[in-house]
Amino acid sequence: MNKLITIALMMGLTSAYAGTNINGTVESRCTVNTDTSGYYGNPNAYTLTTLPASAGQVPIIRIDTSLATAYKAQISYPTSFSSSPSLGDTVVWTGAVGVDQTSSSDMSGYQAASTTANGGAMRIYPLTVAGTTWFSVASVATYGGGQQKAFPGGSYTAVVIAECVAQ
Amino acid sequence: MKLLHNRNVIKLSALWALLLLPLCSFSYTFGYTSNAAIYGYTWQMNSATLGVSAETGLDISGVIYQYKVVKDKEDDFVVIVGNKDKDGGYIWKDTEDWSGKYGIKLRKFIPIPYTPVELFGKGSIATTGKGTVEDASVIYMYRWDLCRNAQNDKSCPNYIPPLPVIPKFEIYDALEDENVDKATEETDSDLYNKEEEESKDKEVEEEEKGRLEIAMAATENALTIANTASQATLLQIINNATNVSSYYVAQIVGGTYRESIALQGGEIIDNRKALRSLGQDNLMNEMIEEQYK
Repeated sequence: MNKLITIALMMGLTSAYAGTNINGTVESRCTVNTDTSGYYGNPNAYTLTTLPASAGQVPIIRIDTSLATAYKAQISYPTSFSSSPSLGDTVVWTGAVGVDQTSSSDMSGYQAASTTANGGAMRIYPLTVAGTTWFSVASVATYGGGQQKAFPGGSYTAVVIAECVAQ
Repeated sequence: MKLLHNRNVIKLSALWALLLLPLCSFSYTFGYTSNAAIYGYTWQMNSATLGVSAETGLDISGVIYQYKVVKDKEDDFVVIVGNKDKDGGYIWKDTEDWSGKYGIKLRKFIPIPYTPVELFGKGSIATTGKGTVEDASVIYMYRWDLCRNAQNDKSCPNYIPPLPVIPKFEIYDALEDENVDKATEETDSDLYNKEEEESKDKEVEEEEKGRLEIAMAATENALTIANTASQATLLQIINNATNVSSYYVAQIVGGTYRESIALQGGEIIDNRKALRSLGQDNLMNEMIEEQYK
């Protein structure tokens, strides 16, 4: 009797199917924050620039990682406006991404070790040391395709993209 | 029954006291100090440097420091930031070795367990090697318990108004005064008599001298008064002489003086006697000259 019951139970177990989810979340050990918001200065009719000398402000992005050699930071300067008045002519974009400050002298080689992509607009930094790094992003937009044409009046917004990507 | 009731009351009271204790005892204020390294790379943990009251009740909970390193990559350079403790060691310190690294801006946060500011000694940014530190900033995170020292503020419980300062008075004891001892010493009677006689003689002499001075002064005064009177008279005479008003009113009675001599014949003849005399003069001159030849 006992055996029979056991067999029946075994048959029951092998004949039924169930899909069971195993859920889990991974908290990134890398965070991206804006320390200082940037804005454009307008030194002449056809230029928008974040340079402080032209009344602009360079944005500062802070990236924290608690794991060494686990992430890389990918930061791009803008190559288009996210919002602007209607523009009939071309805008020439230039910019630069750099390491502004670090939380350790061991990070002093980040800039030298960085690489570029997307035609130079994106800079990639392997984050080989746990800690905090502050990046600055300069951006200059010139209207008229070299013809020094005046930007139409209005509000202009461009976006700096900063990501922390697992290596 | 009554005993049980009392115990319950005591338990409830103790419970209430425990619940209210955190509300009554602690009221912290949190904040950041000023840049302690603004005036140099060594500093004291006092109110002037930190920009907050660095007295009992201030606990430090962290340090945010930053600086910029200027150096060549191949140079050796070490930077130590920290605070000494009271025993000559470090209450906290952080070392960055920049040897063989690029010089860049550094910003660090150093957490510290809540530590009373009284335990902190001198702070410093010390360097060794070839390179410089620029634009340094050291900011402390703190919490401030105003009433840890009840005397910090009148509003604190257990505050005791300070007693006025009572000045110390020194009580004069004449018996310990050397001058009094000397003055009250027994004096030799012979010496005393001699001194008395000398002082009497001196008094008489001074009295006579005084009289003579008075007499001489009276004489001198009389002469001075007389001189003053004669001088006044003299001045009056001089003033009279200088009174020229009489000359302005004087009149000279005058008339016409006419020519009364007339030239007779209308011819003036030379004086022959005079010519002769002139000739004798020549002769005389020759005679005089002769004697020198």
